[in-house]
Amino acid sequence: MSLQDCAIVGYAETKIVEKSSRDIWELSGEVLGSLIRGTGIEKGEIDGLILSSSMTSAGNVFWSQAVADQLALDVNFCQTVDIGGCSPLGTVARAAMAIDSGMCHNVLCLFADTQAAEDNRPRRPIRQEWTSAIGYLGPPTAFGFISKRYEHQYGLDYAALGKLAVTQRNHAILNDLAVEKLRKPITVDDYLNSRMIAEPIRLLDCVMVCDGASGVLVTSRRNAEAKGCTKAVVPLGYGERTHYRAAQSVFDITETGHLVAGQMAFRQSGTKLSDVGSFHPYDDFIIAILLQLEMLGFCQRGQGCAYIRETDFSHTGDLPLNTGGGQISAGQAGLAGGGTNLVEAVRQLFGEGGARQVANRKIAVVTGIGGIPYTRNFATSSVMVLTSNA
Amino acid sequence: MTKLNDTRNVERTPPAPLNHTKPFWEATRDKRLLLQYDPRNGKYQFFPRPVSIYDGKGDLEWREVSGEGVIFSYTIQVRARPPFQGHEPFALGIITLKEDVNIMANLVNCEREDLRIGLPVRLCWLPLSDGAHLPAFEPVR
Repeated sequence: MSLQDCAIVGYAETKIVEKSSRDIWELSGEVLGSLIRGTGIEKGEIDGLILSSSMTSAGNVFWSQAVADQLALDVNFCQTVDIGGCSPLGTVARAAMAIDSGMCHNVLCLFADTQAAEDNRPRRPIRQEWTSAIGYLGPPTAFGFISKRYEHQYGLDYAALGKLAVTQRNHAILNDLAVEKLRKPITVDDYLNSRMIAEPIRLLDCVMVCDGASGVLVTSRRNAEAKGCTKAVVPLGYGERTHYRAAQSVFDITETGHLVAGQMAFRQSGTKLSDVGSFHPYDDFIIAILLQLEMLGFCQRGQGCAYIRETDFSHTGDLPLNTGGGQISAGQAGLAGGGTNLVEAVRQLFGEGGARQVANRKIAVVTGIGGIPYTRNFATSSVMVLTSNA
Repeated sequence: MTKLNDTRNVERTPPAPLNHTKPFWEATRDKRLLLQYDPRNGKYQFFPRPVSIYDGKGDLEWREVSGEGVIFSYTIQVRARPPFQGHEPFALGIITLKEDVNIMANLVNCEREDLRIGLPVRLCWLPLSDGAHLPAFEPVR
């Protein structure tokens, strides 16, 4: 099986900042240099480059070539993945496919975005007809709809959501690479009293757009052994679903593609939920974590708030959650933000979590959320099960 | 009671239709709501697309509908970008029409306390500068 024959042998991450004074290529270079130093795999051995998309590269149809040029990478496989926030996680699956097919052997999966400093998206939104005309704010509005609907169907305990916000914030305080502005403790009351954006979405439900870069190096397990890589994380299972239930005009927006992506990933991995040592869900909004806990089966549909109340999500707790603070408390490095969740999972499995190291470093689960379609929830939902123990 | 802005005074840029959305916007000049209808599957769809979302084929019909529906979900916009900035708070809803499609629109002529999921609403229109209209919804009273 191609996925499980591959290994992540290194990770790298820059400091996340509110607005970068360094160019996206400079950040990319820092990630490359760090990975080469950390893995012992030389630049000349990297023969594949897979990028996540970025707001900074928006409109550039030569992006992966341009980045390869800047980093002077001579490669047999080069592409950008464009499934929004699912792109970073998606690069690992695509790297495994490219390696399995024989196209390349050592793939740099690179996630960089400087959305805060340089957002090059076209000014005129493509959804001008159906969303801009009514004052749709984008993701906060969409999550407002999702939250209200969830509340209607199941009831919503906002203090339980606040508990997730507080837990992740405590983790960011332990993460030197998190954006400094957010490395301050908050309370559940701070969460509840934060100002409304798109009711019931509050300020402390939302990610803050930042700049930063991260990346992982993927190779075959055979090559990792031959190179003497002492640390390796193997992707055991992956599921990715785009436009779940696209052929339905009305559907339950409290159900996401993670339901099927999670089933695919866990079935392929041969692991159970009870094996999970840390959980690193894509977190653009706090309620997205609740939905994913339900979709993956950590609790029953509609029981997420009760589950949150009775579960300790701290790095020493029952189910360590986004132990670097997640994107909500470490800062969202634009479309590269999914790399923050992924890299933290790899760091934990390598046993390099430092002050926030989790006890069970055998299995970690990472997810992705990419894009928010009209009247629905997520364009792409993805789930990956990773192990340090293959 | 919290008064919500009807957003009637927002200077919206009129939509620039595509070929397959033009019939929708043309009909709004006469305050008529048209939906795409797939006669093979007997189902409506929204927003307008180049093909049926049910079988991927073209040959869709346009059918006029009444605009009766219920609120599927809603959110009060407390923060907004231009040209809506300064017009907060206003309400956005996803409305499930009688024809079983969801449409996103401004909720008008209502106060915060009126709003609830399942509330019956009816179609009304907000004028645009090019003579077309934007569909909006208000509570049935």
